Amino acid sequence: MKKKLTIGLPRAMLYYRYSTLWQSFFESLGAEVIKSNPTDKKILDEGTALCVDEACLSEKIFLGHVKALVERCDYILVPRVSSFGHKRMMCARFEAMPDIVCNVFRNEPQKFLTYNLDVILNQDEKKAFLEMGQQLGFGKKEVKKAYAAAKTAEQRQWKQQVAEQEALYKTDGIKILVAAHSYVIEDPYLGKPVLDILRELGVTPIRADIVEREPAVKRSTSVSPTIKWEMSREIVGSLAVHKDKVAGVILLSAFPCGPDSMVNEIIQRRIKGVPMLNLTLDAQSGTAGVETRLESFVDIIHFKEGTL
Amino acid sequence: MGKIHAYLGIDVGSISTKGVIIDKQNNILASEYIWTQGDPIGAVKKLVGLLEKQFDREQYKVVATGTTGSARKLVGTVVGATMVKNEITAHAVGTTTFYPEVRTILEIGGQDSKIILVENGVAVDYAMNTLCAAGTGAFLSSQAKRLGIEVEEIGDFALKSKHPTQIAARCTVFAESDLVHKIQMGHPREDIIAGVCNAVAANYMNNVGKGKKISSPVVFQGGVSKNKGVVAAFEKMLGCKVIVDTNGHLMGALGAAILARRSSKRQEFDFSMEDMEFYTREASCGRCPNNCEIICVYRDGQLIDSWGNRCDRGAVKI
Repeated sequence: MKKKLTIGLPRAMLYYRYSTLWQSFFESLGAEVIKSNPTDKKILDEGTALCVDEACLSEKIFLGHVKALVERCDYILVPRVSSFGHKRMMCARFEAMPDIVCNVFRNEPQKFLTYNLDVILNQDEKKAFLEMGQQLGFGKKEVKKAYAAAKTAEQRQWKQQVAEQEALYKTDGIKILVAAHSYVIEDPYLGKPVLDILRELGVTPIRADIVEREPAVKRSTSVSPTIKWEMSREIVGSLAVHKDKVAGVILLSAFPCGPDSMVNEIIQRRIKGVPMLNLTLDAQSGTAGVETRLESFVDIIHFKEGTL
Repeated sequence: MGKIHAYLGIDVGSISTKGVIIDKQNNILASEYIWTQGDPIGAVKKLVGLLEKQFDREQYKVVATGTTGSARKLVGTVVGATMVKNEITAHAVGTTTFYPEVRTILEIGGQDSKIILVENGVAVDYAMNTLCAAGTGAFLSSQAKRLGIEVEEIGDFALKSKHPTQIAARCTVFAESDLVHKIQMGHPREDIIAGVCNAVAANYMNNVGKGKKISSPVVFQGGVSKNKGVVAAFEKMLGCKVIVDTNGHLMGALGAAILARRSSKRQEFDFSMEDMEFYTREASCGRCPNNCEIICVYRDGQLIDSWGNRCDRGAVKI
């Protein structure tokens, strides 16, 4: 019997945006999907050692996850996601990712799999997946079917996630909107502890990035018409829609994030009338600084509402 | 008859340790301000000894203790605190109690800086430096050392200057190299020192103060508020008077004491802690790749508390 094709998914960066789509696509094609373990200190340290110093924390973590998968699967998926259309760009890190990974791991006997999403150059997601599937040796029809199934699964799951977040806005008690990229907020080493601390402090954190994307992107132009990055637009739009439904906003960023350094400035200048905390996560292991800031932020909100 | 109730507040910062005992009407019964010198437990034991000398134990008893500052957790364990609160909240509570009219609280401590905006006695907005100690007391102390003067003398030197040197204010590392360059170019020392004070104020306004509407009355506190040079720089920059309370350095401790008083938790403070032996030990968990650094606190050889673990695997049994 022919050995099953195995595809490795590094559990970092765009994994948190596309995991359902990817997993479902490869499994529909009969491949086996393996994922790296959730981020821990070892993954971060190894990623940091492989990466140039100036890269963002998330990219360092990503390289650590790739390393954890090397020689454990036939291919490791590292997509190039460049644009979703005019003025709908991705950070250059996502554009460069396959090149960086191939270069960093050039001495490893590992094959990488990539697809190229660049709508400006007439390369949409469907086309990109079709090419990727055929590159793996599957027939056109088979790949089309797998992509359609994966897209349905993704949309179903996303709809449910959005509904869950929307329901949180209607709950009682103090609600705090946390604006961060999904790969920051969902990472168990970065953003998850922040959400845990907030829950321990007795408030309900709500994720700004889980929002109906098209309307959010449109709405973001009311804050700034010139934001270049798609994922930043989604978050900014979500803030504009939801800011009046929450008691406070936390801008959570992994150091040094280029888009965030600009967009969070815009947010702070343009979105008014709600207390805002700007929190930058670094590789330092102590959580004391983060705890102090979160605790005092929640106190200020209690203070304001007269419940301290 | 029973003794009158009093409340102890302790603020252990990176640079200095402050303690205050107040009565129900917020009158200060005892207060002290000493250097932490990298030993928060030792500093607190010394502080408690000094407070005890000023305190009338025949008439009063301490029924609740609050701790704040970056070592609040450690010290809270050591002194058996009934209230452990972050320094921002403690400062807001302390300042609004003594200055109900205040609209803006500027605060610069040893390793952090913050701004709190107040409306009708209620904190409505605040900002704190991101995880970077640029333009804080630590910068002033290291520059004082470089210039060969005591940190306490900076203010007097700065006020003598007629033409403060321009020093890059955005980042401490750049400020420092800029400063070294200006020294070597032959700028007079007092001008450099005044420039450093301006850089601290400018850095603050560009960092935590950015985009905030600063209304008068403005209260400036934290260790750096004792520096007349920085106060003058702020007044010039903001174009209004900047109030520095003589007890400004105690505001965090006062806030902690007030919060301890307001809370319902009561535990009589034991002054004999100054004679007890406390020590801490760092252990690496090793149960998963995170390898959390767990801090264990011992009193007279007995483990009383621990923290630092990210999950239950690293929980230490007491």
